[in-house]
Amino acid sequence: MLFAAPAMLLFATFVLLPLGASVYYAFTFWDGFSAPRWAGFANFARALTDPTFLMSFVHVVFYIAATLIFEVTFGLVMAVLLNSDRRGFSLMRGMFFAPVVLSMSAAGVLWKFVLDYRTGLLNSTLRSVGLGDWAQPWLAQPETALLFICIVSGWKYAGFYMVIFFAALRRIPRNLYEAARLDGANGVQQFTAITLPMLKQNVIVCILLAVTGGFAGFDLFFTMTNGQPFGATEVPATWIIKQAFDQNQIGYGVALTVVLTVVVSLISIAYLKISERGNVTRY
Amino acid sequence: MAKRFTLATATALLLLTTAAIAQTEVRFTHSITGGASREALDAIIADFEAANPDIKIKEIVFDDDQYSNQGLITQLKSNEVPDIFFEWAGYPVQRDVEAGYAYDLTEAMATDGWKESFSDAVWTDGAGTMVDGKPYLVPLSLDLTNTIWYNKKIFAEHNLTPPKTWDEFVALNKTLAEAGETPIVEGNNEFWPLGNWAGHIAAMVVPADAYVAAFKQEAPFNTPEFEKALNLLVGLHEVGAFNKDMQALGADPAMATFFQEGAVMHPIGSWLVSETGNLADEGFEYSQFNTPPIDPAHPLANSVIGTITGLVVHKNAQHPAEAIKFLKFLTSEASQVKWAESGQMSPVQGVSDKAKLDEQTQAMLALMSGASGIVPPPDNKYPVPVAEAFYQAAAFAASGEKSAKDALVWLDETLAAMGKQ
Repeated sequence: MLFAAPAMLLFATFVLLPLGASVYYAFTFWDGFSAPRWAGFANFARALTDPTFLMSFVHVVFYIAATLIFEVTFGLVMAVLLNSDRRGFSLMRGMFFAPVVLSMSAAGVLWKFVLDYRTGLLNSTLRSVGLGDWAQPWLAQPETALLFICIVSGWKYAGFYMVIFFAALRRIPRNLYEAARLDGANGVQQFTAITLPMLKQNVIVCILLAVTGGFAGFDLFFTMTNGQPFGATEVPATWIIKQAFDQNQIGYGVALTVVLTVVVSLISIAYLKISERGNVTRY
Repeated sequence: MAKRFTLATATALLLLTTAAIAQTEVRFTHSITGGASREALDAIIADFEAANPDIKIKEIVFDDDQYSNQGLITQLKSNEVPDIFFEWAGYPVQRDVEAGYAYDLTEAMATDGWKESFSDAVWTDGAGTMVDGKPYLVPLSLDLTNTIWYNKKIFAEHNLTPPKTWDEFVALNKTLAEAGETPIVEGNNEFWPLGNWAGHIAAMVVPADAYVAAFKQEAPFNTPEFEKALNLLVGLHEVGAFNKDMQALGADPAMATFFQEGAVMHPIGSWLVSETGNLADEGFEYSQFNTPPIDPAHPLANSVIGTITGLVVHKNAQHPAEAIKFLKFLTSEASQVKWAESGQMSPVQGVSDKAKLDEQTQAMLALMSGASGIVPPPDNKYPVPVAEAFYQAAAFAASGEKSAKDALVWLDETLAAMGKQ
């Protein structure tokens, strides 16, 4: 007990105390400047009817769905295609993985420049090849802003999932493929009958990572659009920051954080249950 | 010899150390990150430190948005509070006083004729520098928070002149849009740039009582008068006045776009002048005009939107006497001449006559002095969440996302859900 005391003290100071304070402030009207006023459940009632906050969860679901396509599926495809010892494949894997090491904020700023309406690389290219009519304010239109964030996220993280799948592919015994080939199985049949079943646990882990990562999404949304246009790319974290700091409604912002914590906790519990049932490696 | 040298060195070090220890550090936080005004401020600080070697001014500088969102509040709550902090007049000063962060400057202002050195207008009830008759904000600049800057060369190319009425203004935008220009660039990612302008437009259309009541949440926004105000923005949208990426663009990139001739007009505040040196090419010719009258019968038809920005001494400042000494130096005539020549409108009496003001600053001063009233920006006068919600409703209208009516319905619903602020 004595040996654990320093760690427990740190835990209490930096986790339990702020957590307790947060719960308290969630029940107050507080602008951060003046003294907090007791609000009862008013902030929570407002949170549950706040259309932007509720919509931000819809955006997260869309983002997760896109993550599964642009990151997990594409990562799997690239892992399969680049699963070779031939010359140049190692370099290609390295290139595909490179965006993963870039910070999320830097990637967001970089792509914001690329997608800029007036001077961005994408629109400049379109204009230079005579397709100027196709140039759009990609990050200023509700129809395209979220999609482009998902695409950038895919560019950033597909390499991460590729590495997970690539490591798993290397563990599949070669003789399984040799036996299948002797039995006349083609490439697609080998993929569906051997590769996919052998990767099942990795696929489940990647899906769960994508889901939990989706709720933690912030950096890319903040740097690329800051929730704009008109909340079309708002996710819970960006909305909380706006309420707490831009609008000096810290009490309400903290209440939103509590709601988000509950939602993410429920998802985490579901994740644990699924991983126990499927005997999946926990991350 | 060596012993004597060692002794002399030790004595010198001791003296230096003593001098360093004796120096008082005044912590001064603000959001003037660059441009001519920052150069002027740094020069004034250098002059002050030269005249007062026992005082060092430590500047803690944040980007404007970062300062107002997180920078200031974090410092005010910290154990090491700033001795002096930058603030906007009006609601923010009142909030600082109520929260116990602002030092009552009554006594300091009464000595050396400090208070009288400022223009009388900064001490009026509506100026927002005082609370309960006591001065808390030391005025540093008069800010025109929105005027319409335009590119003189492009105006000349299209034979255009500053409009005298709102209808002329809409027609001018139409002409420019049809000629393939981007008439107006707005960087509205943070909502306030267009929001300030929309606040002014609404104040020029809506009866004053109804305007105030709505922002105080005592009456709805969804009225024919507010609808008329937002419909003016809808009208601009319909003639293609605004840049397509308005909601994705930040305030600073929008200003850069104007200086790079990416748009013909840019509605923003007087601080644009001090950024000219950094952002505009040599020979870039620009000027400004006020939002044209909309309803000539309205008492605020010829008003401007503006505020006072200044400095507050923290109530728990470690060195209030030194902080006040510095602020007196900063607002002295000699310092203010430097400040005004950097493109700022000084609130100190007589400075405008003595400083070599550039053409833009002179024009803005003339505009302010000839105005029928000064409308404060909504986020300086009323609770920030209410102002921000209004700004968003204005953005809905200006970008064509919602009709004026729907934007106002959305605004009232949002405020109802928010509760009284």
